[in-house]
Amino acid sequence: MTDHDTPPEFRELRERAARLPKSIEPPRDLWPGIETRIAGTLPGRRETGGPQGLLDGRGRRWALWLLLPLAAAAILAVVLLGRRGWGDRRGTWEVMRVAGLPLVGSSPLGATGALQVGQWLETDDSSRAVILVGDIGHVEVKPDTRIRLVRALRSDHRLALERGEIYAKVDAPPRLFFVDTPAGTAVDLGCAYTLAVDSSGNGTIHVTGGYVEFDWSGRRSIVPLGFRADTRRAFGPGTPYAEDAPQGMRQALAAFDFANGGAAAVRRALAAARSEDAVSLWHLLERVDPALRRDVYDRLAALVPPPTGVTREGALRLDRTMLQIYWNTIRRVAWRKAILQGIRDIDPRTGTAR
Amino acid sequence: MTDLVRQAQQGDHAAFQSLYREHVGRVYALCLRLTADAREAEELTQDAFVRAWERLGSFRGESAFASWLYRLTVNVVFMSRRTTRRRAQRVFATEDPGALERPAEGREANPGLALDLERAVAALPPGAREIFVLYDVQGYGHAEIAELTGIAVGTSKAQLFRARRLLREMLES
Repeated sequence: MTDHDTPPEFRELRERAARLPKSIEPPRDLWPGIETRIAGTLPGRRETGGPQGLLDGRGRRWALWLLLPLAAAAILAVVLLGRRGWGDRRGTWEVMRVAGLPLVGSSPLGATGALQVGQWLETDDSSRAVILVGDIGHVEVKPDTRIRLVRALRSDHRLALERGEIYAKVDAPPRLFFVDTPAGTAVDLGCAYTLAVDSSGNGTIHVTGGYVEFDWSGRRSIVPLGFRADTRRAFGPGTPYAEDAPQGMRQALAAFDFANGGAAAVRRALAAARSEDAVSLWHLLERVDPALRRDVYDRLAALVPPPTGVTREGALRLDRTMLQIYWNTIRRVAWRKAILQGIRDIDPRTGTAR
Repeated sequence: MTDLVRQAQQGDHAAFQSLYREHVGRVYALCLRLTADAREAEELTQDAFVRAWERLGSFRGESAFASWLYRLTVNVVFMSRRTTRRRAQRVFATEDPGALERPAEGREANPGLALDLERAVAALPPGAREIFVLYDVQGYGHAEIAELTGIAVGTSKAQLFRARRLLREMLES
């Protein structure tokens, strides 16, 4: 590894990383615990005897006793690995019981089991389970939830949440994990989130890491860390709002999104908006009538100044490139504000440390 | 090979304790940065030294003892991650999902995490954090990381880029 491998924009970061202290003393002495565990044993000498040592006299008998269980273990490992590979090809994910008696299909789940493509996992009011999403993450299935494995491909990990609540955590490139709901599809962009759906198909998504895109019939919301969005069957996702958004802002957005609140609701939202609510206003730009768009843009620009490359005229005609540049600034400010909470005082207008 | 290592290989606990004292800081730092969890780092540090004791016989002095020990530590951390039981425990303990994603209060109290960069590293997603720590802090190459962690070289590069980008955004002022 040389500095030539490091792009110039990351060199300073790498130099800082290299200067981190190599040694950190643990907060307590760990030796007593280690001493207890190694007491009465000698260091292993697996390779010091050499092949000759295994072939003579007593050594041969020792070798047999050693090799037989190893051989058995190897065979078992091959069988298990083979089954696992077979399972993956057939589209199954591992599922674990956490509490109560969840059902996979119509059978009670043991400590662990397999969820096959097309199968439902159902929890009652006292049961919970965890689904391992291939090797990219996991989904905690809360009580009173009904969820189905739709696809188990490397390029498309997909569940369908009919009702109930899940917490999903995925550590993978974007757009590999999807959850279909009656109000649209949650598309993972590298994130952690809680998704709830009630018996009428309406719900809420609350993002606690990264970003989630929620799509329904061409309507799209991007929900970043620290934001929520309500979802409605036949409407799709509402405008995302900060988890600490003022009550007036939430009510105004709900009225605009789902209750034909129109211009009056938008004006109430604009009046209540803070810099921290720029994510919501950015979404409103595309959703409001052209006549209202100017008001939305002006309020947004006052709360989070547009970056170079974004003009008022361009934003008002919904220029894709300009909206994307503006979004990159807004999402970065929101992300820094959330992730550095308690570490640095971040200016919600610019995302810089104060 | 040093005398201490030779004596420890003969079963001398006092010599092994001296090796522990000499290297525990670096082993703990590695575990702490890979896991971003002080309690888990303590556990894994102990596991690493116990494993080192068990494998001491196979150490022939072809590399420095320190390099052998740190490599073994990385193995211990990643083996523990692969263990379903531990994974399940971690999953089940996640009552507050945000705790995994945010620089939570407990993390600020983590010993040694006094610098902004340390805190930012602790706040990275696990996959990105591990590769950043191994590549940029520990100095392993992508091929070595791939061998140690079982991921592809391309994945290691992608995770490193992701980690650096996230860190740069976090640390911008």
